[in-house]
Amino acid sequence: MARFQDEEYGRTGAGTPGAAPVPGVTPGVGASPAAEVTGASPAASPGASPAAASAGEKVDAVIVGCGASGSLLAAKLATAGKSVVILEAGPNLGLKDMVSSQIWSRRWRWNGAETENGGAVGAGFNNGWGGGGSASHHYAVWLRLHEEDFEVTSRFGVGNDWPFSYADLRPYYDRIQEEVGISGDAEAEVWRPEGDPYPMPPLRSLGQGRAIARGFAAIGVRTAPTPVAINSVAYKGRSPCVYDGWCDAGCPIGALANPLVTYLPVATKAGTEIRFDCTATQILTDRTGARAVGVRYVDGDGAERVQEAAVVIVAAFAIQTPRLLLLSANERHPDGLANSSGLVGAYITAHPFQSVYALFDDETDVAFGVSGGNVLSQDDYAKDPDKGYLASWQWTGGSSVKPNDLIGVAMARVDLFGDALHAFIADASKHLTNMAWVGENRAMVDNRITLSKTTDRLGLPIAKLTHEFHEDDLKALEAGMEQGQAAMRAGGAREVWLSGRATQHIMGGAIMGTDPANSVTDAYGVTHDVGNLVVSGTPLFPTSGAVNPTFTVHALALRQAEHLIEEWGAIAR
Amino acid sequence: MLIMTPLGLLPAARARAQGAPLTVLSRAEGEILDALGETLLPGAAAAGITNYVDAQLAKDLPFLIYRYLDVPIPAADFYRGGLAALDAYSEATHGSAFADLSSSEKTTVVGGMAGGKPEGWEGPPAGLVYFVVRADAVDVVYGTEAGFERLGLPYLEHIAPPERW
Ligand SMILES: Cc1cc2nc3c(=O)[nH]c(=O)nc-3n(C[C@H](O)[C@H](O)[C@H](O)COP(=O)(O)OP(=O)(O)OC[C@H]3O[C@@H](n4cnc5c(N)ncnc54)[C@H](O)[C@@H]3O)c2cc1C
Ligand code: SF4
Repeated sequence: MARFQDEEYGRTGAGTPGAAPVPGVTPGVGASPAAEVTGASPAASPGASPAAASAGEKVDAVIVGCGASGSLLAAKLATAGKSVVILEAGPNLGLKDMVSSQIWSRRWRWNGAETENGGAVGAGFNNGWGGGGSASHHYAVWLRLHEEDFEVTSRFGVGNDWPFSYADLRPYYDRIQEEVGISGDAEAEVWRPEGDPYPMPPLRSLGQGRAIARGFAAIGVRTAPTPVAINSVAYKGRSPCVYDGWCDAGCPIGALANPLVTYLPVATKAGTEIRFDCTATQILTDRTGARAVGVRYVDGDGAERVQEAAVVIVAAFAIQTPRLLLLSANERHPDGLANSSGLVGAYITAHPFQSVYALFDDETDVAFGVSGGNVLSQDDYAKDPDKGYLASWQWTGGSSVKPNDLIGVAMARVDLFGDALHAFIADASKHLTNMAWVGENRAMVDNRITLSKTTDRLGLPIAKLTHEFHEDDLKALEAGMEQGQAAMRAGGAREVWLSGRATQHIMGGAIMGTDPANSVTDAYGVTHDVGNLVVSGTPLFPTSGAVNPTFTVHALALRQAEHLIEEWGAIAR
Repeated sequence: MLIMTPLGLLPAARARAQGAPLTVLSRAEGEILDALGETLLPGAAAAGITNYVDAQLAKDLPFLIYRYLDVPIPAADFYRGGLAALDAYSEATHGSAFADLSSSEKTTVVGGMAGGKPEGWEGPPAGLVYFVVRADAVDVVYGTEAGFERLGLPYLEHIAPPERW
């Protein structure tokens, strides 16, 4: 029984004080056949194992990961006439698989290599899996980062500046918002940075949203309808939302903008080939190490293959992206690919998150509405050192909750069991209200992904995640919890309590920047060290801000796609 | 909720009523799981928690909540280890196997698990075993169309769960 000691259980155990992070790779990686592929064409690599079969023609771009960013890049590149292959570790799940059930919804969660996880960041929960990545069943709360989020170092001397400003990204937010569709009320969002008004009116507010808005108003805090990439009215041929609250299990009618109804159909129509059940295991470079030549992967039958490409794009989310770069160490890149800065894996951020729960006498329609909720407050978003901490935060409230699952009604009181649990579920299924506090996580270099000593089923080191919050993050959380409980009480709640602390969203691990010494990629996600190797998605975020990241992921990917197409000759060479 | 059992496809509750053999867990483990599930949420045993968990464990990609929790131990080993730990702990503290305890003793033991770290517990963390099996119990009792009906909630499905789970 010795192996069942707490430290093996990271998340719920007593807490494993993770060993000091070691930039670079374990010795085992250098010994893999991959390390020898710094020369000839990868298909003829002189590895110790039999050479991987070539997976067909060299293409213009191979994209690792079929999630939010990978789908958008594929759509834009393929539409511009590039040949594109996407390698996706997960299965070919489609709209027909979006079964309305919290039990069935678990098919959409990451089922690849585990993560050695010593902190509170839910790797298995946050990672995508299959077509659309985690965006296939995300809640579509789409918010813009604020101007100050791009400039935390120059304004406040903390974290990392982004390599461009809000003004540079704004046109991409505006265009994505029009392409995809967002429902909201821009005027009511008094905190919103400049931008075009939303193309659709906000969603309707149900019982929970009304109770929360009433409570906040009573304590003088402003609210607005939550802007969501969900149709309040028919938009571009996609149906409006019917408020059944099943978004977490996937929205098969296409009211919610998941990649299966937005960019993937465009990508495949323009000729993109998606290879499901294909796990990328290494990015291969030429002999000089300056150019990527393709991606080695293991297909659904366990066969090792190589896809050659002029441009390699890694869009595998914030844990697997740095892991893949570290696994791709070779003679020219002994500490991991594109890692001359030593920062591959560094600056992992995850939004601290805690819920305030309340029971009201009135019915709150808690099982219905949308999973992302319908009321927002960013009254305390502005970063102000005079508050005693430097961190932004916001509320997203009124999310639909079904009886079971990790975010189910029953989990609102984990302490209850037996008849008391039955009684609680019966009451709370009609009267519960919940709102989520989402805060900024200070970017810190020691919060990072390294390679673990444990290996996955392919024999490759799994990712090891080391993460702690900054004390300011936690002070902000404390202030939020006080405000949230006061609002619920002022709104007339008969009982108010807090959930445990958790996280939402994972970012960083291959951050953008202007200087190769303190970032992994340039402002377009092109790695400083390998001129045709590109990173996309949340790993690029130099800081987290306190807003849900997927609108920004889309805006960034659009900006990247246009840059790649414009500069194709120089980048693809 | 139809699950695959050695007797063929059966509703989880009927699989239990007919004593369908388990494929991953042993009979003894099944008895502990039934008793724990029933203590966590009365009705879970009859709803077929054990046959449901066992059928999921036999699959390549179990739908269990365990999948979310970043526990680097195969799910079947976790359940086996947790159930053995519960029995050993009950023997040590109350002198008999968990399933044979009185209902108030069971409540005391499970209350200790909910608190996190009962003294002398050896195995997968007690709090995690509590959390996971409690979630399984809620799944079989309330996570289905029948469960919603019991709560008076319209199911409003886009795509109904297939008969076979
Ligand atoms: C329950 C939930 C709710 C959410 N709600 C919101 C929300 O309301 N608003 C918001 O802004 N964000 C939300 N998010 C976050 C959102 O889903 C992500 O920010 C977004 O999908 C990230 O995009 P990405 O392209 O970086 O990664 P993903 O969309 O996750 O895609 C990564 C893909 O890479 C694949 N992959 C990984 N490794 C490999 C490999 N080695 N080989 C091949 N493929 C690989 C994965 O299988 C996955 O499909 C939510 C997330 C979850 C889990
Ligand atoms: S509530 Fe709306 S967005 Fe969510 S699944 Fe239902 S129709 Fe889709």
